Amino acid sequence: MSESVATLPGGLSSTMEPSPYGVQAKKLTIWLFIASDAVTFGAVLFGYAYIRVGTPSWPRPFHFNPSILNGMVMTAALLTSSLTMLGAVAAAKVGRKASTLKWLGVTVVLGILFAVLHLREWFHMFDGGWSLSRNPTGGPVMFGATFFSITGLHLLHVISGVLALIVVAIGYKTSWLDENHVETTGLYWHFVDLVWMFVFPLLYLLNASG
Amino acid sequence: MANVASNRDPQMKFYILVWISLLCIVGIEVFLTYRGFSTHVLLTALLLLAFIEAGIGLLYFMHLKYDRPILLWSFVLSIVFVLLMMNQIWPDAYRMVSIGHR
Repeated sequence: MSESVATLPGGLSSTMEPSPYGVQAKKLTIWLFIASDAVTFGAVLFGYAYIRVGTPSWPRPFHFNPSILNGMVMTAALLTSSLTMLGAVAAAKVGRKASTLKWLGVTVVLGILFAVLHLREWFHMFDGGWSLSRNPTGGPVMFGATFFSITGLHLLHVISGVLALIVVAIGYKTSWLDENHVETTGLYWHFVDLVWMFVFPLLYLLNASG
Repeated sequence: MANVASNRDPQMKFYILVWISLLCIVGIEVFLTYRGFSTHVLLTALLLLAFIEAGIGLLYFMHLKYDRPILLWSFVLSIVFVLLMMNQIWPDAYRMVSIGHR
C-alpha cells in the first residue's frame, strides 16, 4: 500500500496510510451519522410494524382527500428539494456562488413547504380528535403514538436540515464554509428524503381507507 | 483531499430523469394502494418500491455510484445487517395477536 507523510499538529511527522474511502473526513463523518440515523429510523419503523402486527382492528384513518393527496404533495416537494440540492452541489463544485445560493434558497423554501404541509396534516388530525394517546374512533390508541412519534422524528430532521442549509448558505456566501460543506449538507438532505420514501408508504398508504 | 471520481459526475439532465422516475414510483405506490390488495400483498409491493427508491437515491442523489465501492459496501451492508437482525421481533408480535392484546 502506498504511504504518505503527514505533519501532525504538534509539528511531528508521522507516516500515515491514505483513507481507503478516498473522501474528506467531513464526508466520512456525515456518512457515519447517516448510517446510525438510518438504523434509528429502522428501529422505530420496526417498532411501528411490531405494534401494528400485534394490534387487532388497526385504524385506517387516511382518506385520499385531504390526507393522501397532502402526503403526495409533501413527497413531491421533498423529492424536488433533493433535485435542487443537487443543483446547489453542482454549482458549488464549479465555484458558481450566486447559483449555489439560489439553489440552496429553493431547497430551503421546499423544505419549509414540506414542514408547513406536515403541520397542517397534524392539526387536521388534532381537530379530528387524534393525539399521541387518543383514538377518536374508540379503537387502539397506538396508532396516534406511532404516527406522531415517527412523523415527528422525521419532521425534526427536516427542520434541522432547513436550519443547516440556512447556516451553510450564509457560511458559503461569506466564504466561511466551502463547497465540501454544501456537499455534506446535501448528503444529509438526501437522507431525509430517503427516509420519507419509507415513512410515506408505511404510515400513510398502508393506513389509507377504502 | 479532493473527492475521488468527481470528474465522473453526471449532468443535471440525468438527475432530472432520476427525479422523474422517483416521482413515477410514488405515483405507482398510490395507484397500488387503491387496487384493493390485501395488506400483506400491498406491504410487500410498497416495501419493494421503497427499497428501489432508496437504492436509486443512494446511488445517484447521494453519489455512491461515483464514490469508491468500499463506501457503498461498508455502510449499506452494515445497515442491512442490523435491519435483518431486527426481524426477530415478529414471533412476539404474532403472539400478541393470539392473546388478544389491545
